[in-house]
Amino acid sequence: MLKVRGLNAGYGSIKIIWDEAFEINDGEIVAILGSNGAGKTTTVRAITGLIKPVSGSVEFNGEDLAKKSSRHILDKGIVQVPEGRQLFTGMTCLENLEMGAFNKQLKADFKKNLEKCYTWFPKLKERASQIAGTLSGGEQQMVAVARALVGEPRLLILDEPSLGLAPNIVDDILKVVKELAETGVSVMLVEQDITKALAVADRGYVIENGCITLEGTAGELVTNEHVKKAYLGI
Amino acid sequence: MSTVLQAIANGLMIGGFYAMMGMGQNVIFGVMKIINFCHGEMLMVGMYLTFVLYTFFGMDPYAAVPFVAFIMFILGACIQSSLITPSLGTKSFTNLLFLTVGLGTLLSNIALVTFGSSFRTITTSYTGNVVQLGPVTMGLPKLISFVVTIIITILLFAFLKYTTLGKQIRAVSQNSVGAEVVGINVKGIYILAYGIGAALAGTAGALLTLFYVISPTAGSIFSFRALIVVVVGGLGSIPGAFFAGIFLGLLETLVSLLVSPMYKDLIVFVTFIVILVIRQNIIARRR
Repeated sequence: MLKVRGLNAGYGSIKIIWDEAFEINDGEIVAILGSNGAGKTTTVRAITGLIKPVSGSVEFNGEDLAKKSSRHILDKGIVQVPEGRQLFTGMTCLENLEMGAFNKQLKADFKKNLEKCYTWFPKLKERASQIAGTLSGGEQQMVAVARALVGEPRLLILDEPSLGLAPNIVDDILKVVKELAETGVSVMLVEQDITKALAVADRGYVIENGCITLEGTAGELVTNEHVKKAYLGI
Repeated sequence: MSTVLQAIANGLMIGGFYAMMGMGQNVIFGVMKIINFCHGEMLMVGMYLTFVLYTFFGMDPYAAVPFVAFIMFILGACIQSSLITPSLGTKSFTNLLFLTVGLGTLLSNIALVTFGSSFRTITTSYTGNVVQLGPVTMGLPKLISFVVTIIITILLFAFLKYTTLGKQIRAVSQNSVGAEVVGINVKGIYILAYGIGAALAGTAGALLTLFYVISPTAGSIFSFRALIVVVVGGLGSIPGAFFAGIFLGLLETLVSLLVSPMYKDLIVFVTFIVILVIRQNIIARRR
């Protein structure tokens, strides 16, 4: 499980997130909610080692990963589906998935994991040899999720998976996420679309201006007055 | 007719060199989005390395090619890790412009100090041999060099297409953020790419020594040609660079033959401008 304590991070001298603390248990789906610019993606980048946290600890299964390289963190099983998908648009769908198998063990298991991905996203099998940049937005998001799944995540981080996608495709993807969590994988779901996120999440945290201001179970957050006013427009 | 065929053969040959330069430039541009302005000087260094290996170690210029490629790869990797990677952090195009132009000046002046300004040549026992291919007569060294450039091009294609490292290079070119996310060592790929670019330039230099004069400024003409190849073929596109290189070589020799060698550079650069304008219009219309 993931235990984040006192996490401070930013870019250069600009601090974006302040003393964040949250945790994600095994097999749990935790939503990280907040509006644009609240610090959600920075949180993701700090946890996955793409930026080095200024201070704080990111404990994952007993090991502090706060100062570790992004590669080491991947090896430990924290894999993300980045914001904006970040596919290799000139490569085929299959080549993109291959890139997700980043170490020897995963390369050996690639065939097995690929089959699993195809059962979750049958469309990707048809599209295997198609250039990723020519796929529809929804299919590209599926490639991005599958690329992460090939990395055998123990904690899967999804950063804004709903961005720019049709609602039914978002539902398809979230359904897979839910099934994945049932197999014991922890999921950190970073979202602006609070309704959709809380529909699948067990618990959630709300980030505002780089600080966690609210936390609770999905049910509590949906009925929270502040959340209703600020995010759901009710 | 046979003179035209002869010109085409020569054009293909020289085009192979332009293509090799352009492809090296494009591997570097692809991953780092920078233009290596000392690419021609790296070719020149490759020439002198071959010259040294030939003169002092009695090595045949073709046997020297793998050594030159290896030394250039190491040199490129050192330049990348000690100079270019740190300046990439500044995200300033001007910095990198000055850095690579300065490196080029440095390299050609080192050559000037070490070897003097006189032109050098390499003459082997087979330098004067010719091969008759139907109506076309070709110097044996030129023919061998052409075959080697083609082999290297194919190897480069295969490397980028099928090997893990090649795929990682393409991944970084297409999306460096995505590459970081899947755990690719992006800085390592930078070093590899610059090393490959330098090795390709050095190899082109080594292959040129048998029919081209070696001088501290020998690289500059290839530097310009490589830039044209890169722009015409498409920034970052390896197949584009290959075909643009061949096209440029053909254009040059055919213009020399059919118009006049005097107008060669003029027509090459005018064509370059015309292609740029036409392409700009196509791009503008698409939007």
